[in-house]
Amino acid sequence: MRVEVDPSRCQGHTLCAMIAPDSFELDDVDGHARAVVGEVPGEHRDRVLEATQSCPEQAISVMAEQLAQARAAHGLRGGR
Amino acid sequence: MACEGDDEMSALPDGSNSHDAVPRYHFDRHTADYRESFLDITHEMHRTCPIAWTDTYDGHWVAAGSAEVFELARCPHVSNDHDVNHERRGYKGISIPLLVDAENYRGGMLEMDDPEHRFYRTALNPYLSPAAVKRWEPFVDEIVRACIDDHIETGHIDFVDDVANVVPAVLTLAMLGVPLEKWTLYNEPAHALVYTPPDSPDAARVRELYMAMGVDLFTNLLEIREDPRPGIIDALARLRIDGESPPDIELIGMLNLLIGGGFDTTTALTAHALEWLSQHPEERTRLSRDRETLLNPATEEFLRFFTPAPGDARTVSEEVELGGTRLREGERLWLSWAMANRDPALFAEPDDVVLDRKGNRHFSFGLGVHRCIGSNVARTVFKSMLTAVLDRTPDYQCLAEGTVHYDSIGVIQGMRHLPATFSPRQRSGPGVAETVQRLQQVCDEQGLARPITEMKESARISD
Repeated sequence: MRVEVDPSRCQGHTLCAMIAPDSFELDDVDGHARAVVGEVPGEHRDRVLEATQSCPEQAISVMAEQLAQARAAHGLRGGR
Repeated sequence: MACEGDDEMSALPDGSNSHDAVPRYHFDRHTADYRESFLDITHEMHRTCPIAWTDTYDGHWVAAGSAEVFELARCPHVSNDHDVNHERRGYKGISIPLLVDAENYRGGMLEMDDPEHRFYRTALNPYLSPAAVKRWEPFVDEIVRACIDDHIETGHIDFVDDVANVVPAVLTLAMLGVPLEKWTLYNEPAHALVYTPPDSPDAARVRELYMAMGVDLFTNLLEIREDPRPGIIDALARLRIDGESPPDIELIGMLNLLIGGGFDTTTALTAHALEWLSQHPEERTRLSRDRETLLNPATEEFLRFFTPAPGDARTVSEEVELGGTRLREGERLWLSWAMANRDPALFAEPDDVVLDRKGNRHFSFGLGVHRCIGSNVARTVFKSMLTAVLDRTPDYQCLAEGTVHYDSIGVIQGMRHLPATFSPRQRSGPGVAETVQRLQQVCDEQGLARPITEMKESARISD
């Protein structure tokens, strides 16, 4: 599973890092989030999914690895 | 451009077609019985009209549904602007009705749109980011300790007057760069301005207190310009927009916004949470025992359930359609964070407090670019006060007699008093007066009020 934070939607609510601290990190200066690694290890999957559901701005997207590769092959990014 | 490309809402060209049937709902959140009828109103609006027009206060839209509030709060065709000098389109900012004294007065960046808002936000972020606020945790814990120590030997405390009013006040002044001993000068007007109706016999006195606070803020700004000392006031004094320093009145508006946001809201959250935990002793025991996993979700749940700041006004700046309802340029709009927070479409059992609630994407800090910039401060201060109360007065009982909720919850859903009794214990250190002096020294010596870009280390309190 891949995870991404859309920087144009994130407003720094910090809930993702609160729920899944291993998978999201916050910028020191403005508190906006980014995914620590694109690919989520199995043991963090549930927390990342919960963080995704908890984002007030709906800025986090997750997708299956194969789908991400297929989209990348067609020059597409992200997805929700 | 459609709102973030969302199909649900799109801007329409001028002169487009006829009036749709407009959903209507009589809505007045400033009446004395609104607090009692909030649930009924919320349920009825969710069921029948998640967005509706009300004729109250010269007419405005009310958004109650979570989907509607989500779309409109993040919509580029919705404006926060308060155009006090009628230089643009005369929009009236974030209050409905307009506060009596606010007619010619802009409430800081919350009443600005981008790009202007963005200049202020960027200047303040390094003082209020999660990393910046974390540095203050030892400071917060120390003032919380002192507040409780002043009362712990008596077995009686007022959680509002003695704790929840004091801590946000002292911390906010420290972050601004105002001398901490001034906290009493700021404390009463910051709360009283919110809960005192304009027709109250006390209104004139409260106004005077508020003016004295404004004068002190301005004095601090002038001092810091002459002889800089670290803090948010310094950041505002140095702020330049297109090479120019903004007018002083805008900086004072910004400082009043930070005081208003920093003081009364966190007090309201803490008081309501402590009252609820007193009424639900098993939940209190569970929260205290399982705090490692429960404190974070419980904090978000108290934020959702009690929504200290119940909503914000906006002005429609370009015609938009939302789920078949057309909003026209210039129309006023109330975004109800409080009602969106109870939407059953988004929250299972929305009217229950569920301490370990999952997927809690609540609206209590607002949404979009105006997300409460003090949200990290609010959480930190709340958690410090809550855990200290759970640890040091674990058997506290709030007293219904003497508990005073705000008469009107149109602006802040707050409390004036929350007395409680508990088993007395020995104090563990000096009280508030002495601690404030010590903390001032700590601030000065360690330069705590500097931005995160200049200082990464946490406050060191122990001597």
